[in-house]
Amino acid sequence: MSKAGLKCPNCGSSNIVNDDLYSQAQLVCVECGAVVSEGSLADDPLWGTDVSYSRTTAVKKNPCLNLIKGLERVKEICRILRLNAEIEHLAQTYFRTAYQHESFINVTLQRKEVLAGCCVCISCRQRNWPITLGTICCVLNAEETLLGGVYQEMLKILNIQAPFVSVVEVIETHVHEYKISKQDVPEDFAEDPKVLTKRAVELVELAGESWIVTGRRPLPLMMAATYLAWQSLNPNRHRLKFSLDKFCNMAKVRKRRAAATRITELKEVLCRLGKELPWVTEAVTESDVVPLVGDILKYRHSLLARALKTHEKALEANCAQTSTLNHPTDEVVPTQHSESRNENESTSSVVQLSPSNKGENQGDKNDDQSEEPVPNWGKKVLFAPPCVINAKRRRVERRVENCTGDEEISDGEIDSYIRSPQEARDFALMQKMLSLPNSENS
Amino acid sequence: MDDLALERYFDDSIAKDSSSSAVEEQLGLQSSDKLQHAPQHGSQLSGGAEVAGRLGDDLDLSFLPDDLSHHNSSSAAEAATAQNAALDVLEDSGICLDNEPPDSAAGPLQQGPANLGPESRASPFCPMTPMTPMTPMTPVTEKSGIIPQLQNIVSTVNLGCPLDLKFIALQARNAEYNPKRFAAVIMRIREPRTTALIFSSGKMVCTGAKSEEQSRLAARKYARVVQKLGFPARFLDFKIQNMVASCDVCFPIRLEGLVLTHQQFSSYEPELFPGLIYRMVKPRIVLLIFVSGKVVLTGAKERAEIYEAFENIYPILKGFRKQ
Repeated sequence: MSKAGLKCPNCGSSNIVNDDLYSQAQLVCVECGAVVSEGSLADDPLWGTDVSYSRTTAVKKNPCLNLIKGLERVKEICRILRLNAEIEHLAQTYFRTAYQHESFINVTLQRKEVLAGCCVCISCRQRNWPITLGTICCVLNAEETLLGGVYQEMLKILNIQAPFVSVVEVIETHVHEYKISKQDVPEDFAEDPKVLTKRAVELVELAGESWIVTGRRPLPLMMAATYLAWQSLNPNRHRLKFSLDKFCNMAKVRKRRAAATRITELKEVLCRLGKELPWVTEAVTESDVVPLVGDILKYRHSLLARALKTHEKALEANCAQTSTLNHPTDEVVPTQHSESRNENESTSSVVQLSPSNKGENQGDKNDDQSEEPVPNWGKKVLFAPPCVINAKRRRVERRVENCTGDEEISDGEIDSYIRSPQEARDFALMQKMLSLPNSENS
Repeated sequence: MDDLALERYFDDSIAKDSSSSAVEEQLGLQSSDKLQHAPQHGSQLSGGAEVAGRLGDDLDLSFLPDDLSHHNSSSAAEAATAQNAALDVLEDSGICLDNEPPDSAAGPLQQGPANLGPESRASPFCPMTPMTPMTPMTPVTEKSGIIPQLQNIVSTVNLGCPLDLKFIALQARNAEYNPKRFAAVIMRIREPRTTALIFSSGKMVCTGAKSEEQSRLAARKYARVVQKLGFPARFLDFKIQNMVASCDVCFPIRLEGLVLTHQQFSSYEPELFPGLIYRMVKPRIVLLIFVSGKVVLTGAKERAEIYEAFENIYPILKGFRKQ
């Protein structure tokens, strides 16, 4: 009993002090001297402390409090994301198993919370419910790197695999987050989510075929697709002038920085296809491609085929003018021409172009050798991953040839790595001097 | 019957000489000379010579030693060495052919090369045409043609004596030592450009070399520096612990497709890392595969594991290029 809230039973004063002059600590009232309480010795139960029967005969250990809290958190997250009961149970099972493992039992509470989120994520994926780690990140308000680390570790410990979730599956839920229905925004800017989703899906599929999706984070891409879809569904002056920032503010969605780059990349792809539209006479630039997006998406398969043909013709013309090794390349290109023409209808025909260009590549390789160490095959293909098109120039490190490992090591070289005695003395002195002012300051 | 068969071979080998591989061209001069010489000698010998010319065309000679490729790729200027080498090979083939049942075309061959041995030193013979028809031992045609370049080698060595790290940090120019941060001296040398972690127990880790030999040379240099500083350093248990290599297949790769078909080996989380992590079982190598076609291979203890892993993954990646 602390002396804070005590009142002397004799005089009612609350001025009680701890008197430990004698062997037993006593709480004594200052005013009247009455002993309020004597100390634990006298109060000790005669036969030991009272232990309840159920506690002494408990068979299994009660679950740790944090485990219970963690399971509650899992349930909470599932409710927030409106997941069904099956996923919830699965997530709880995973959490219980993972929690017992040594890498999750003695960690910070934050890490345990992140573990709860990861269990939910993996359960969703295994039950084919599309969800991204980014969503979990938002729900938990946790750091992405921490989430990633815990996720990988959890997969390793539980020894499970997550089926891959493609962007197309996730985009529908993503679009529904945007508050741009008729109730939220003025008529001019409103869009039906279903229509918006449909167009966004088409844009994402096109991005997938032109190598914008692979290897990139899905969220900025989905944001870019939604924005362009919204703009193109009603390309009036107001919408076209609306920037990404304003759009995100209006839709009450947090803007992603990378979305702007994705928009540029998507517009570039759309331009290339837009050029092939037969009823477009002027050049298509990135600023005026948006009104054409609807048409481009509608006829995208045939536009792709036409774009491929145009590209091949352009390359042939280029080849004939520049390359000195014309003969072998010309032989190679026509044979692959027929291949690609046969598969023109498939949407994945973009990739067909690269083998035909590899032949040219090798022909031009000798020309390029003087300019760059590795010929950039990305520049010769219609669509290539942006990291290839904008390849960073790396400094070429010269390769040391003919090293046996047993060469003679010259004394001079080794001596160059050792300080002279004077130098060592100076260095020691300097270190001492440096440490002195530090100790003075601290 | 033998003479007729041998004459047929003679005709065939002349016919084949015109549509020759690159190697045949190099030794072509010799082959035409030898063919002229051949009729001068005994029929068996000529048979052997012509048969030898045909040898490469029909038979699977993959059991032949590796040296064959080196000698066959020599220039015409090194004709003499090439001749002798091919000679050795022929002798070998004579021996081996006895063991392995040859196919029908090689029936008379058994006599020919066996007899070729003692006499062939004096006589010319038809050279082999190894490159085109053989199942390659030094692969050129079937394999990818891309060789992964080693980027980093991590090796460890035991210097065999306890070290005073403070003393080393004081006396060596290229050393840094911050005991609060890490319990080892970090030493660097310029050639080969590497970094070493030297621990007080005498164990050392050497990183940054671009080949096994360079790593060994660098480790020896570090040991020499420690020796010069006065410690009785030795060079025990040098072992390569990890090798990292990279290469470029020069076509884009559909990582989504790859993770779907090779689910048990691959892990692709675009939200966490842009590349696909492929854990190959045999050899036990981890590959990082990127959409640009660049591949990083790591976890190898030997160079051959890296080459093998890349040759294993290349057909898989090529499969994803057409899709």
